Amino acid sequence: MRKQILLLAALLAAPAWAQLPGLRARQPAPPAMVQNPLDLLRADFAVQSGGTTIYFTPGSVGLTQQARTILAAQAMWLRQHPEVAVRIEGRGDPTDTRDHALAMGAERSAQVRDYLVLLGIPSAQVTAMTWGKERPGPPSATTTLQELSGPALIPAAG
Amino acid sequence: MRAIQFAAVALGASPLGSPAAAQEPAVTVVALPPMTSPDSGTQGNESLGVAWEATQLIETDLRQTAELMPLSPNRKDYYSYPEVTAPTFSKWRDRGAKGLVTGFVQQRSDGRYTIGCYVYDTEKGRELGRIGFVAARNDLRRAAHKCSGLAYKALTGSPGMFDTRIAYVAETGPPSARVKRIAVMDSDGYDHGYMTAGDTTVLTPRLSPKGGRLAYVTFQGGTPQVRVVDLGSSQQRPLVPGNAMTFAPRYSPDGSQIVFSMMLGANSDIYVVGANGGMPRRLTTAPGIDTDASFSPDGRNIVFESDRSGSQQLYVMNTDGSQQRRITFSQAAYSAPEWSPDGNLIAFTWRFGDTRRIGVIGPDGTHEKQLTAGPADEGPSWAASSRELVFQRTDASGRPGIYRVSLDGSAPRKMTIPQDGSDPNWSGAMD
Repeated sequence: MRKQILLLAALLAAPAWAQLPGLRARQPAPPAMVQNPLDLLRADFAVQSGGTTIYFTPGSVGLTQQARTILAAQAMWLRQHPEVAVRIEGRGDPTDTRDHALAMGAERSAQVRDYLVLLGIPSAQVTAMTWGKERPGPPSATTTLQELSGPALIPAAG
Repeated sequence: MRAIQFAAVALGASPLGSPAAAQEPAVTVVALPPMTSPDSGTQGNESLGVAWEATQLIETDLRQTAELMPLSPNRKDYYSYPEVTAPTFSKWRDRGAKGLVTGFVQQRSDGRYTIGCYVYDTEKGRELGRIGFVAARNDLRRAAHKCSGLAYKALTGSPGMFDTRIAYVAETGPPSARVKRIAVMDSDGYDHGYMTAGDTTVLTPRLSPKGGRLAYVTFQGGTPQVRVVDLGSSQQRPLVPGNAMTFAPRYSPDGSQIVFSMMLGANSDIYVVGANGGMPRRLTTAPGIDTDASFSPDGRNIVFESDRSGSQQLYVMNTDGSQQRRITFSQAAYSAPEWSPDGNLIAFTWRFGDTRRIGVIGPDGTHEKQLTAGPADEGPSWAASSRELVFQRTDASGRPGIYRVSLDGSAPRKMTIPQDGSDPNWSGAMD
């Protein structure tokens, strides 16, 4: 049984609202008390890869250079942890119409997944889905670690 | 499908004749004397009570329309049974009424009622139509809606939308943890019920033309997928097998097919599949997002949105996917089209910047018109009359509600539902 663990999205500098002076200089909050090994992995993943959220320009599905930098770091981490599965959750633009937003979120998560696969991550280690505009927030795709599962999904070697 | 507890009965010999369509946009005044009864004594009083209830239901129905204006019935104006089929036309002409609706309620030995109603043109002094039912007491409301529908059709030429259903997504809870359930109600707000429990996010319910079945999108499997539910038996199944993301379903006009979108990789295309299953057939292959397909009422064409040009625009194609042609050319985005039941117009969501409005356009791309001012209106769905739409409007505090708007340019009216609502969809007339 796979249970999904939500990661706190680390703040990236991409969207305008995140560039406010007070926010930019702020360090990530220190990790809370960690008991679960997966929590440790989550925290490590977020720190090592520089973030779990990839932001997109409204109306666009293209990966920015900044996004590629983060994804390269994520891929590096994932290659070192072939036992961990990740799920990419794509989000559409909040002002889009319902179905187009669904498709945009799906395209964004697919772009992220495909780039990770291009960097050598086995496709079975990465799944992609979309929330459309069902989750509030800016257009983005969030990489979420999933609980260490049985051998079903994860290949033995990266 | 909800069991229909009343049976249509023949009234006299003549079937419903061809309606005399009043094409001028002016409001038609309709006389609506209290429905009467041939019953006598105590039974007669009971029947007159039922008849008065039916009269009020019809008045409410007709008053909701932009085309008909009923003269308020007065219960004290006793209307005799013989006058039902032999009205004094001059009396109603003198009061400015072009249309006249009469009717009766008669108790049967089995406890049910025979309900008959008749529609007349007072100027020509002739009958436009008649309809009759044997109905149980608790089906009186639907019988009255059928009478209203007959009057509307006879006097305007368009099918009525009184005996129809509206499906929508009921929304509760804070924005960060919204609970969404599929809700279905009669278009007058009665018989409101929930089809899903709220444990999974659900979207875009789409009723079959006669309102007996429903396709919707659920996140239950982790990714959005279309499910089909029979509203009578509550039996559900996935529209297509497999794990692919499917969304944006709509029934064909005869209910035999469902057109939908499927995501393969980073590409969304339009497919069609039998409403009872079968092998999906792919209709579009363009890169980018093709979605929100809707059949023309003759079943020969499909309108859809595509961002293949760089922004969302409307396209029309043959139902085999051939002859794809763009019909909107503007800097604004056009999305979520739905073809009107009479075939004359396509409703859409117009989007420019952060502003979303409801508009209509001819299938050839002419006669574009905006119906609402926004700023956050989306997802139009036609009434069976093709003269009115439901849509979703999100208010300044971010709460979505369901509104009706008429093609005549009058202001949208908010519908009364038990909680917030989104993604409304209006069925055709039920059997």
